[in-house]
Amino acid sequence: MPTKNVVDERIAKFKNKGKDLAKLREKRISACVQLRKAQKNESFLKRRNITLSSFPDEEALSPENKDTVSFRIEDIIKNVNSDDREAQTRGSQAARKLLSKSHDPPIKEIIDAGLLSRFVSFLSMDNEPTLQFEAAWALTNIASGTSWHTQQVVEHGAVTAFINLLASPMLHISEQAVWALGNIAGDGAAYRDVLIECNVIPALLARISPDTPVGYLRNLTWTLSNLCRNKNPCPPLSAVQQMLPSLIQLLHLGDKDILSDACWAISYLSDGSNDRIDVVVRTGIVPRLVELMNNKELCVMTPALRSIGNIVSGSDLHTQMAIDAGVLDVLPKLLRHPKPTMQKEAAWALSNIAAGPCKQIQQLITCSLLPPLVEVLRNGDFKTQKEAVWAVTNFTSGGTVEQVVHLVQSGALEAIINLLLVKDAKVILVILEAVNNMFMAAEKLGETEKLSLLIEELGGLERIEMLQNHSNEMVYQAAHNLIEKYFSDGDLEEV
Amino acid sequence: MSQTTEPSNDGAAVTEEAKIMTAEKEKKADEVVEEEEEEEEYVVEKVLNRRVVKGRVEYLLKWKGFSNEDNTWEPEDNLDCPDLIAEYLQKQKSAHEGKRKAAGDTDGDESKSKKKKDDNEKLRGFARGLEPERIIGATDSTGELMFLMKWKHSDEADLVPAKEANVKCPQVVISFYEERLTWHSYPSEDEKKDDKH
Repeated sequence: MPTKNVVDERIAKFKNKGKDLAKLREKRISACVQLRKAQKNESFLKRRNITLSSFPDEEALSPENKDTVSFRIEDIIKNVNSDDREAQTRGSQAARKLLSKSHDPPIKEIIDAGLLSRFVSFLSMDNEPTLQFEAAWALTNIASGTSWHTQQVVEHGAVTAFINLLASPMLHISEQAVWALGNIAGDGAAYRDVLIECNVIPALLARISPDTPVGYLRNLTWTLSNLCRNKNPCPPLSAVQQMLPSLIQLLHLGDKDILSDACWAISYLSDGSNDRIDVVVRTGIVPRLVELMNNKELCVMTPALRSIGNIVSGSDLHTQMAIDAGVLDVLPKLLRHPKPTMQKEAAWALSNIAAGPCKQIQQLITCSLLPPLVEVLRNGDFKTQKEAVWAVTNFTSGGTVEQVVHLVQSGALEAIINLLLVKDAKVILVILEAVNNMFMAAEKLGETEKLSLLIEELGGLERIEMLQNHSNEMVYQAAHNLIEKYFSDGDLEEV
Repeated sequence: MSQTTEPSNDGAAVTEEAKIMTAEKEKKADEVVEEEEEEEEYVVEKVLNRRVVKGRVEYLLKWKGFSNEDNTWEPEDNLDCPDLIAEYLQKQKSAHEGKRKAAGDTDGDESKSKKKKDDNEKLRGFARGLEPERIIGATDSTGELMFLMKWKHSDEADLVPAKEANVKCPQVVISFYEERLTWHSYPSEDEKKDDKH
């Protein structure tokens, strides 16, 4: 039962009841006065073109009080170093705002001012969430700088504090910790492994639930991807095994940013030895990756294609998994994609599939990969053409005689002959190897003369002859060998 | 090119146990093998290499439970581990046939390794992490009842859903309502005089 006092107090708060007339009048008058003052201030501010959120770096706005914030470094230092919680919060917030500027945030000044230890100590103040948040944000932005900047953050003990913050009941604070740890992991393999040693992964994975907001999951996926990133060394296998199930979960969501970063994570994990690829494909994720190659968002297609490209650079078994998942139906589209880098990556993937057994080469033919291959050989940009040339050579190396004949008939021979004019010696060598392989197939059919004639008709003989004068030793050697073996029959004219 | 054998199981590449029964197993001088039993079963762990000796194909085997010093060359005909042999041959073929790993140049398409959090972060309402000071207005023009919240240590007020505020800062909400409570009743003597002012 409320006491009479409390009841009176509450009644006093009501708008009209419980107040005598004089008091009500006073109240009305003071309200009017306040409104007039507020209007006057607002119009002054408008004329001066000042808002309290702009940063006059060198001047304080007015004597600092509870409601204004100074952005001078000296004041920030004073506030952050004080023992007054409110001052610390003001100072940290001011630092945070300075560090969030889009242009030239004063990271070094803040570090040189020696504020990092204080910020890190604020991270553990669970009873001061505002302070925690401002400090976490400020440290995040410092860690987003150069390697040296990140190093400063780590060396002031932020890692453990941030990992502990992951469990904060305040979602926005936990999320900030995720972000900061992402920046630290992204610095390189060394800090990545430090974080893993400190058991960051279980702490991160514990935050994934059906209720986790999308924005949080975006940050978390990005941080996980940084923990998968970088080689020399690759992330520890045990860490990879821990993260994979969650990555697979994330890959089945719909948000494009989550999908993009999850695919990047897979692309990092599959970029390595075949053992690493094996770990990835065993999750059964390959069909989903092929599906994502078809996604309408470029930011999803790109890492999905990169992942599949890595997988087909693995063993024949790995490659077969990609083929079984339907990659050959998607590749023609990507070989014709308006973006040259997509074409290039698609051609690279194709070249690795063509490096497989003849059974897989047959599937290339069946799924109509030859026409788009010839198209990029003719019209692609140079980087794409380079990859396409490799596809041709690999094809001629692993294909059966019939398959090689098919390749020649598709126009690939003509297209690579046209590329003999490029300056890149390596490309020329790869082309000459393809031509040599074609002759070896022709030998089995007893049709080397036929092939020689065809090459001559296509203008290839002329070019190969000229290559005998090429500055690169291997090029002129290879060209010379070809001429000797297949073109120095007495019947052919040597120009 | 013509050496490959199709692996009998597709999917995972696993190390299979394979049993080898041979009474004719060649004993080399440095092998540590019990000679009492006629038929021994040794388990092949992995196929390491291949060679052709006098027209015969032989494989270098790592034996399960033995160290690498005990690896031996065995004739192909003596072996019954087709999957391990296939796995070895697959590896060789791929290496030979020119699979090329990622070049590492991604033309700048890759995800950023570090990200700075800008002030333009669309943090609104409670997500800004500020402490509510008081509610200065209310509206339902968005379809849902929203409060205009003044936060401590900030001059930027913004809208928060009433549902959220009711839970996160009920006393602030109650103050807001109480400050605006008006009684509508039949005019009595006192309130008549009130309204004239």
